[in-house]
Amino acid sequence: MNFERLNAHFPWITLVVLFLLVGLANPAFFNPVGLLALAGDVVPLFIMALGMTFAIYIGGIDLSVQQVANLVTVVATVFLVKLGIGVALVCILAGALVGALSGLVTTKFYVPSFVSTLAMGFVVLSGAKWLSNQRALHMNAEAREASFGWMFDTTLGLPNELIIAVLLLALCWFLQTRTTFGRALKAVGAGELAAVASGINVDRIKIMAFALCGALAAISGLMFSVKLSGGDANLANGFLLLAIVAVLVGGTPLTGGVGGVLNTAVGTLIVMVIRAAMVFLEVDATHQQMIFGIVLIVAIALTIDRSKLKIVK
Amino acid sequence: MKALLSRDSLLKWAPVLVLLVLMLTFPIFEMLNDLARGKEHLYLLDSRFLSVRNFARIAIAAAPALMVALGVTFIIIMGSIDLSMEGTVSVSAVSFAYAFIALGGTLASWAWLAMPLALVVGAAIGMLNGLVHVKLKIPSFMASLAMGFVGTGFALLLTGGERVRVDDPIFRSLLTVRWFNFPIMIYVAGAFLLLMWFVQTRTTLGRNFYAVGGGEELAAASGLNVSRVRILGFTLAGVCYAMGGLLAVGKIGIAETVTGANFMFVSITAVVVGGTALWGGIGGVFNTLIGVLIVFVINNGMVVIGLPSYIQSAVLGALVILAVVLSTDRKAISFVK
Repeated sequence: MNFERLNAHFPWITLVVLFLLVGLANPAFFNPVGLLALAGDVVPLFIMALGMTFAIYIGGIDLSVQQVANLVTVVATVFLVKLGIGVALVCILAGALVGALSGLVTTKFYVPSFVSTLAMGFVVLSGAKWLSNQRALHMNAEAREASFGWMFDTTLGLPNELIIAVLLLALCWFLQTRTTFGRALKAVGAGELAAVASGINVDRIKIMAFALCGALAAISGLMFSVKLSGGDANLANGFLLLAIVAVLVGGTPLTGGVGGVLNTAVGTLIVMVIRAAMVFLEVDATHQQMIFGIVLIVAIALTIDRSKLKIVK
Repeated sequence: MKALLSRDSLLKWAPVLVLLVLMLTFPIFEMLNDLARGKEHLYLLDSRFLSVRNFARIAIAAAPALMVALGVTFIIIMGSIDLSMEGTVSVSAVSFAYAFIALGGTLASWAWLAMPLALVVGAAIGMLNGLVHVKLKIPSFMASLAMGFVGTGFALLLTGGERVRVDDPIFRSLLTVRWFNFPIMIYVAGAFLLLMWFVQTRTTLGRNFYAVGGGEELAAASGLNVSRVRILGFTLAGVCYAMGGLLAVGKIGIAETVTGANFMFVSITAVVVGGTALWGGIGGVFNTLIGVLIVFVINNGMVVIGLPSYIQSAVLGALVILAVVLSTDRKAISFVK
């Protein structure tokens, strides 16, 4: 079998191997109830990574997602009582708007997305701090239960938040593989100049990709806020790097055009298994982050597809 | 005169202009504030912002970040990126603090060895970062991202979450003793800046950074050992991060796992605002000095004129975009990622 053909399958093989290794070391890991709980915990991260996939798929990056999620936790907490479940719409629109603005700055002013989204993140952070008065806010418990209590129920034995994640994944997968928008995304990521030459409105596609990324970051922030029952301008800090890691480990390279949302699902699960492994293998809390980093390097070194990288920058 | 106003020189000096405009703008707000309260105020002369005391304050806040930003400057000139600085700063700071205490706890003893040791630790982590990037052929973004986790994790492993106090009065004189109104750490930072400027302009390694960033295939074709330059670049960056760690400990007298926190975005922002482009090949250490000053002048100026602190990051964000727009020659690039 051709080694290059095998390359695309490395992420899920890594996942299965890791999964089995952890389970063999401690069979308690295979307990379905525990696994469902683990998967539930990782849902906000997954949704953020799902959005990040689109930014990276077109060869860009979005560093503002963490701040968008922060802002949304504040917006959701402040306006929940007044707007009820309608607050979700406000949050998603706000996220899409921020993403679209980043895309606009990137395409119209020729600012690389690394910088434009970093800057947009700073602007959004200001908004979150202003709206929250720089305090940690608590959600009104009754309104939370009335509007979002259903998120913690189960349908057919599956937690609803997990179902939301699967539905969003299905939607994104449909967008990526079954629509002209998805095709255009791939074209932009694989070769922007060729995409321009073949008549694709690249600027519009990019802006839409960043808007989608922002909207998904907002959903992620909203779910996180409901889960923790509060909002704070720093609540989602720490999500950004993990979301990028989930996308990259899943096999969507920074150069774009390859990989996609299913890869990100696998990548998020790899991150989840590595983190859970530390608990199940009783790794000391102070050792965990270092081991996470080392496992990450090994996983990336084993799985990234280098066939399309002429120069490793 | 014509040459002075050409587009090229305008692009080159845009960051300096932004800094000057900022430094002249904050005193205007100060004056308006005072006049509105019925106090007399002579523009620039009565400014609290444009005072030596305040400049010292800005310099103290900026010094550790400048060290870190200098390191990442070289990486960005090569067209790569480094996201591992927070971990490296923490590990160097913590190893310095432990070694310093173990060797006697005062600069007047063998404990001074802890300082070169911290630089060696920084160099080692940087070199490891470079090796992972070059030898395992992992893009620097991913390699350094993962190394950042390893670094922060290692710092946590060393401290177990504890804070390590370094309260030797001689070491703390970095902050407490002032020459001409500025604490010693500012002169140390200045000397290090000059050293890095020397590396950039007067050494083969410095020129090779630009060769790699300007066109890697060309550099390799003309016989340059690109892998070696990359590994050396990351090692040098590690030394800079360790220097940042030392000054950070000198500033607050405490080394802990979070000593390195927040350096990543601040340093990359400063480098970019200073006019060093992310695609490599242009910019340099003095651009970074201007960039760091812009970031910290904004932070300080907003406080001085009494604006609520939550606006700071928005202004910084807007300026980042402005600075990049000003310093981009749009005719020369066909698209950006």
